[in-house]
Amino acid sequence: MREPLITKDTIANPRTHYGSASASTRRFITQRTTGAINIAFLGMLLFLVIRLAGEERMDVVALVGNPWIGLPLAFLIGIVATHMRNGMRDTLEDYLHGRMYSLVMMLNSLFCLLIAVAGIGAVLKLVFWG
Amino acid sequence: MSVRARPTSPHLQIYRWTITMAMSILHRATGIANYAGMSLLVIWLVAAAVGQGPLDQVNAIYGSWFGQLVLFGFTWSLVHHMCGGIRHFIWDFAVMMEPGQRSTMAWATLVASITITLLVWTVFVWVK
Repeated sequence: MREPLITKDTIANPRTHYGSASASTRRFITQRTTGAINIAFLGMLLFLVIRLAGEERMDVVALVGNPWIGLPLAFLIGIVATHMRNGMRDTLEDYLHGRMYSLVMMLNSLFCLLIAVAGIGAVLKLVFWG
Repeated sequence: MSVRARPTSPHLQIYRWTITMAMSILHRATGIANYAGMSLLVIWLVAAAVGQGPLDQVNAIYGSWFGQLVLFGFTWSLVHHMCGGIRHFIWDFAVMMEPGQRSTMAWATLVASITITLLVWTVFVWVK
């Protein structure tokens, strides 16, 4: 039997459940918003790496430990982790389905959480405890 | 008697490559590379937070020729993904979607990402 033809109307109809009805719009907006903020993250990353590549711990503490730099950096790492999770979800939805999707999506969430917790934790440690 | 090779199902290789297709694939590929590459930043930050010893080790690895090669690739990957993202922002306004325009913009993404990456490394790493 032939697969039913997917038309624009089929996709637009919420009853067909193409994509998550409750979350797809939010994920789209999240991805665009975090993506725009990531332009600032890339600028900050390049600034820090150019200043600190190969430098001593003392220099890292002096620059990243400055709250005006460290706190925005911690915030931006959280934004990046959100963007990573959402972007990887897009990829996973294309290739995996059902239980396999849920399992790999969980690993995705865990990895992004790890990046956020370790990254933000390290920066906050540098800011508040040197 | 030789057996004739089995026909393979048509996949990516049957399509004529277009620049928009290549940039679409690169956007996803660089996204995945950035996903993995973020661990490099976090490892560096954690090492710096822990102490001078671990930081020295990370600096030695990142400063080696292989480390520099990876960081150069990571720089390009980040910049390219940003340029691709800006292209998507432009499309969000429903402009630049006509055949000539979209391939111009796809080429511009590639040229911009390579130029910016080379500029950053030339000014701040090689000449410094």
